[in-house]
Amino acid sequence: MKFKLPFNKKQPQPINEAPKESLVRVASASDHFIQSIQNATNNPADLIIKLVPPNLTLIYIDNLVDIETLNNDIIANLQNKPHETLEEIEIAMSIPEIQHSNLLKETVESMVNGSVLIHVEGYSQVLLANIATRESRALSAPENESQVIGTQVGFNESLSTNISLIRRYIVSPELCNEKFKIGTRTNTSISLLYMNGIANDQMVNTLRQRITDLYIDELLDSAVLAEMIDDNSLSVFPQMLLTERPDRFCDAILDGKVGILVDGSSMAIIAPQSFTEFFQSQEDQNLRWQIATFLRLLRLTAFFLSVYLTPFYVAAVTFHYEVIPQAFLVPLSESRALVPFPPIFEALLLEFIIELLREAGARLPTKIGQTIGIVGGIVIGTAAVQAGITSNILLIIIALSALASFTSPSYMMGNVIRLIRFPIIILAGFWGFYGIMLAFCFILIHLLRQTSLGAPYMSPFYPPRMKEMRDSIVRMPIPLTAKRPALTRPKDKNKFKPQPVKPKKS
Amino acid sequence: MNKLKVTLVVLLSLFFLYGCVQTNILDKVGLTTLVGYDKGSEHKIETTAVIREVNPEFQSKVEVITTENDTSKGNRMEANRRLSKKIMVGQMRVVLLGEELAKEDIRYYLDTNLENADVSNSIYMAVVEGRTAPFLTYEYKDIDDIGQHIYKLIEQNVRQEFMINATLHQIAHDYYSIGKDLAMPIIKRDQEFVELSGVALFKGGKMVSKLPAKDSFYVKIVRDTFKVGLYETILDNDDIPSKILQKPTDKITIAFDAIHSNRELTLVDAKKPEFDLDINIRSRVLEVFPDINQGDRKSVAELEKAIEKKISKEIARVIAHSQEVESDIFGFGEKYRSIVRHSNLTREKWHKLYKDMKVNVNVKFVILRDGVFE
Repeated sequence: MKFKLPFNKKQPQPINEAPKESLVRVASASDHFIQSIQNATNNPADLIIKLVPPNLTLIYIDNLVDIETLNNDIIANLQNKPHETLEEIEIAMSIPEIQHSNLLKETVESMVNGSVLIHVEGYSQVLLANIATRESRALSAPENESQVIGTQVGFNESLSTNISLIRRYIVSPELCNEKFKIGTRTNTSISLLYMNGIANDQMVNTLRQRITDLYIDELLDSAVLAEMIDDNSLSVFPQMLLTERPDRFCDAILDGKVGILVDGSSMAIIAPQSFTEFFQSQEDQNLRWQIATFLRLLRLTAFFLSVYLTPFYVAAVTFHYEVIPQAFLVPLSESRALVPFPPIFEALLLEFIIELLREAGARLPTKIGQTIGIVGGIVIGTAAVQAGITSNILLIIIALSALASFTSPSYMMGNVIRLIRFPIIILAGFWGFYGIMLAFCFILIHLLRQTSLGAPYMSPFYPPRMKEMRDSIVRMPIPLTAKRPALTRPKDKNKFKPQPVKPKKS
Repeated sequence: MNKLKVTLVVLLSLFFLYGCVQTNILDKVGLTTLVGYDKGSEHKIETTAVIREVNPEFQSKVEVITTENDTSKGNRMEANRRLSKKIMVGQMRVVLLGEELAKEDIRYYLDTNLENADVSNSIYMAVVEGRTAPFLTYEYKDIDDIGQHIYKLIEQNVRQEFMINATLHQIAHDYYSIGKDLAMPIIKRDQEFVELSGVALFKGGKMVSKLPAKDSFYVKIVRDTFKVGLYETILDNDDIPSKILQKPTDKITIAFDAIHSNRELTLVDAKKPEFDLDINIRSRVLEVFPDINQGDRKSVAELEKAIEKKISKEIARVIAHSQEVESDIFGFGEKYRSIVRHSNLTREKWHKLYKDMKVNVNVKFVILRDGVFE
């Protein structure tokens, strides 16, 4: 069944019936101009109006402009020197980015973005000198996607810093950067990045269209954007990767994927993304292929363990006592003997406690969070068993599956793993192994139906792409992975020329 | 919207139908690990069940309950009346049959377990010397859980290939196939121990004879291949070539483990019938008492010859015995049926033929290694 999204992604842009304000021209008289700017911006407290004798007026918003540049390169050059024409002023200032405008709306928009307006008495045109400064924190290590071997730098909240980081990794004129503004009120800048000559045009066009079709009033984080431009926003499974690692971003872009950066957000969006790629870490590329393969298989095992171990316990203890090995029978039933609840309730209770601990640990300050973890783990765990609420073996299983869910390199996917466990536990408690199979089939069918930017989500398993399994749940040595994934339909299929299998002896 | 309604109905039925599923929560069921059948009074069945119960007070305990009723399920109901927990048979590992009952007909007990989907087909079956009830209810000094003990005892011996393998699946196969009869281990109490004492031979569903436990090696080697088994044999005076002896003695005891054996059966004459049985055994000699000179290649060859002679003699004896009681546990009939066209073999016809069948046993014994082992 296809669920329709209640949020219409393709809202028609309201037709602008040539609003009068956008055509209002800049007044030539200084006091009129100042008045009109004050009206347009609702006269905020940080609006600075500076008169430079004899005939200039400077207007800007405090904290948005670089004060040092303003003092040294604008005011110092203009003061006490009579300037007659706009061209003369432009030459006098040592500022690289200067625009002319005679429309009031454009002027105000430019000022809000960090320009200084320079108005000359008697001219119905203003100069817009862009000397914007943006508050941003320094670059730091990626907290959510830390890795042992590899670069220790993550994106920060500044779009320009992030783009410069990427440009430093990919020094090539083929790196395309398209800018958009999203949000009628926030006017958030976003950048669409891809490699010309590698990325598929159709995918770039699709993504560009999805972004430009958005008609919303605010955009504060890239996660929101990712959810809105997903193929299926109602699915629990994320279809685009959110990453804060520039190396991962660049690796994806060089594979032919398309990336999006949002100003004010430290997470970049990458699409298309297949299901298996959520279990890959950038560190895999930095390790020897045997070790990387082991780690990838470990993560996949952890995924299945985390999702199916608790339901398996519940189903086996509730319905299918036949499958329990004989050696395990006595310890299992002895640990269950004191528990007054049915296994499904026991499991749900303990899962609930674990989720509480995780949530409390995530919300509290770091130092208290650790204490909560220890208190929760030891005190609640031991006390619950002694009070006869849960059995020892279930406690081990729940702890193991909680641990396993954190091995996913993508936090988004880890959340999904923890969430889909609950319905499976309930089904296992209702119907036993049949319930687990029902849930498994439902999840599998759902995953098979998903697409990411039109590319099949379960690739390379469905459709089966045998050669691409080399870099999916295993990682083969680099010479064997010379081709870019067909998932992205790249224009240039080869990363490098693959060596012949048996090189001729020279 | 119509689709949404369908989904809703499915989801709701999932919730409401939940009540219809019968749960068997592990700590709320009594697990039967072993069942023994005996002939009761007036055509009734006497059942002895070993049931493991888990209670919060006394951890876990094993109960042995004997009941008498017309059917096996009736016995279960009767046993249920004496226990605080529902009796389930999904963890059953062993079925024992009393000797008296086995001599009558085991068909009913085979079928009732085969048809029960809860009962695994890999459970072991065995015949008890005497009656099962006193055998199971006896308080063994060192055996805590008699059900588990017997299961492990049989499993261990089957794995080591000391005893023929008799799972429910195999027995049912042998029982229903024409031209093969089934065999089971015999189990008995020896003071404070439980012991595998021999092999029971069946003709159809009736137990007709038994062989001592030592002969299970020969039964096994003729029935199927051998991989790990250990065996000890005694060469009598007249079998021993006098050359290899260092000092005169009247018998040599040899322990060897057959690394590998295979058998080949060829029908020579269909009318009579006559079979050639070729058995190849490759083995390591572990112990020889008294000592002989194994360094000499000739004396090793002589030893091989002597063992060959001994084994073929024993095999011929075992086959002759089985012919005497008309129990074809080796499956000669299957071979006959597969080769002779339009034989229209029936059980009766084959048993008649089997009695006068001639088998030429030909053993080839190779000593691969001798000296230091294990």
